[in-house]
Amino acid sequence: MRVEYINPFVEAAFNVLREVLSDEVKRGELFLKSTSQPVLGVAAIVGLTGDVEGRVLFDMKRETALAIASEMNGEEISEMNDLAKATISELANMITGQAVTKLHDLGFKFDLTPPAIITGDNMEVSNSGVEALIVPVELGKGKIEINVAVRERA
Amino acid sequence: MKTKADFPSINERKPDGLREDGEAYRVLIVDDSMFVTKQISQILTSEGFDVVGSASDGEQGVEKYKELYPNVDLVTMDITMPKMDGVTALEKILEFDKEAKIVMISALGKQDLVKKSLMLGAKNYIVKPLDRAKVLERIMMSLK
Amino acid sequence: MSTIGNRIQQEQEEKVESIDYKMVTFSLAGKEYGIDIMKVKEISKAKRFTYVPNAEPYVRGVYNLRGDIISMIDLRIMFNLPAQKRIDDTFEDMIILHLDEYLIGIIVDEIDKVVGINSENIQPPHPIFGDINIKFIKGVVENEGRLYLILDVEKILGDRTGEEEDRIRPRLVPAAAGPERKGPRKAEAGPSEIDYSFISESLQTFSSFYVSDINRKWFTGRFEDWKQQRGKSGEEVQLQEVEDAAQFLRPFYSAHTGTFWSDEYRERLKEVLASLQTGGNLLVWNPGCGEGYETYSLAATLKEIFPQPQCKIWAHDHDLLNISTAPNLIFNSNILPDSLLDFTVEGKNGLQFNKTIRDAVLFEYHNVLHANPFPEVDLIFARDILSFQTQQDQNKLVLEFNEKLKPGGLLFIGENEEIKHPDFENISSGRIRVYRKIER
Repeated sequence: MRVEYINPFVEAAFNVLREVLSDEVKRGELFLKSTSQPVLGVAAIVGLTGDVEGRVLFDMKRETALAIASEMNGEEISEMNDLAKATISELANMITGQAVTKLHDLGFKFDLTPPAIITGDNMEVSNSGVEALIVPVELGKGKIEINVAVRERA
Repeated sequence: MKTKADFPSINERKPDGLREDGEAYRVLIVDDSMFVTKQISQILTSEGFDVVGSASDGEQGVEKYKELYPNVDLVTMDITMPKMDGVTALEKILEFDKEAKIVMISALGKQDLVKKSLMLGAKNYIVKPLDRAKVLERIMMSLK
Repeated sequence: MSTIGNRIQQEQEEKVESIDYKMVTFSLAGKEYGIDIMKVKEISKAKRFTYVPNAEPYVRGVYNLRGDIISMIDLRIMFNLPAQKRIDDTFEDMIILHLDEYLIGIIVDEIDKVVGINSENIQPPHPIFGDINIKFIKGVVENEGRLYLILDVEKILGDRTGEEEDRIRPRLVPAAAGPERKGPRKAEAGPSEIDYSFISESLQTFSSFYVSDINRKWFTGRFEDWKQQRGKSGEEVQLQEVEDAAQFLRPFYSAHTGTFWSDEYRERLKEVLASLQTGGNLLVWNPGCGEGYETYSLAATLKEIFPQPQCKIWAHDHDLLNISTAPNLIFNSNILPDSLLDFTVEGKNGLQFNKTIRDAVLFEYHNVLHANPFPEVDLIFARDILSFQTQQDQNKLVLEFNEKLKPGGLLFIGENEEIKHPDFENISSGRIRVYRKIER
């Protein structure tokens, strides 16, 4: 992934999470994965278009998603109902939106599509052999893996 | 000696959502996210606003506005939505009612779409994450 | 390496009272054994041993544990127990013991956990309990319904002739050098061979440098020089730590690694590069670009030779720290060769390359062994990157180079590397190692 794209995603994740949650937010070491498969249980996906084609995926365990949705709504949510899903989608949307804004300031034209959310074990997201950048974020509530897979449009 | 009547009590501040005549401002919320709709609704109703309707895409939003007209004082409009996006919906509502007061809500910052909306006639915009103070301030500004 | 080490810590928080003996338990051919934890240094998994010729069959070889060379004993072979079928590339459980002043490793079927017991419950061994010779068993103890045979490691590992001992632990007594090695030795099992493979292993451990056909010629020459050098100065031949490995590798790197290319080097490269046939755009792949000095030097050089066509360079590295500074690289004029000055502009913090050059390069944080979506290229500039991949990945990369290079295209690799591939014609000149993809 293009070097200049990396920081905007890292910063946006950090900023948005710190703003909407009371948790301490710690960033883990970035690394590259050869496939872009989500693995933890709940994944929110936001498509990217413009100068690149690809998507950002927010991967987390079910318990983490529920804990986050509960705090963001100010009420205890114990199952991945519509409200919980809408909340996690919105979180993904905000982080990606802020990243896209920063990229715009750097001169890169990105656009984003409305988020989709998938849940369940053994999820499969079709992966056309595109490498993914993984930004692991540690919260008190659990870990979120931000998985960015984009390629330059020729 | 000053009496209690001379000091406006903080506890008796008039909630933002009420007009001079005591009636609540009426708001239509257009957003495809159940969470955001709930959030905005909570912020507004806690300040005395009256949420008179909500829609989950631009098309529905335009229809609802036409139905409720003229009993809507303000619309909050999400930019990224399926079927019809917020900017198109903005245009259509303004075509129908050029006095309509619309505030754009977006996860994107000073982006082309936001600029475009403002040029087309949106009164203001709010960038997510939403915080209560910011939301109320921008909405009040748009209502003036 | 070991997460079992963490488990041991947990287990040590025991709730049972009067535990005065703890042992690491493991299985061998279906039976459970234990070893006094005081004798255990570490638990690990390993898959690569260096075979030592002319040792006993139960000596599987030696293992490089962060610089310490340890003999690996396979207890199953030693006790003539049926061993589990070994699939060549799997990790095996091993326990590193420290006995007196040296370390030794034993390979077992499966390590279980740490068990704490009251030593009063240890019973003397009875031949009926074990498959192995009773003299090797210290005692027997039951715990939570399981029966453990406690091994007497000193007996097992000390019970050999003096000759054998020395051969198994060539490096374990620090003061020892040549004289310690007594005993008959066949001609081909010279200590030199062992040194050669130990150094090769150490380079892997310390510097991620993998000796293979690609660099063997250089390595063998360097090894001989190194041995002589160290022999003369009386220093240890073996690479004990990272600095030794770095010193060993110093002559490997191609000219101007990590800096801008000198004027003379650029002139020599230009002679070779000029033969590139290019109509429209010139597409280049630069894997392992590091901080970008090589990439910018290349971009400027190509611009000089081909001023008209648009140049596009994909510059990749999987070290994020290095490559993250590349797109906005700022430097002082004192490290810049004169001929490159024209391509730079003065910024407020120093010099940068101009827009034309910077627009020509796409720096990507990317692992070149992962899928690459870019099209076929005219030129691949991959100096010193093959040698830092595992042997398997080296082959994969060479195949990738072949696939991604247009016929007639050029491949540059490290000055001390070489490849043999039917589709590549060696057109190297002087110290510059370059190949042309044959047009068929």
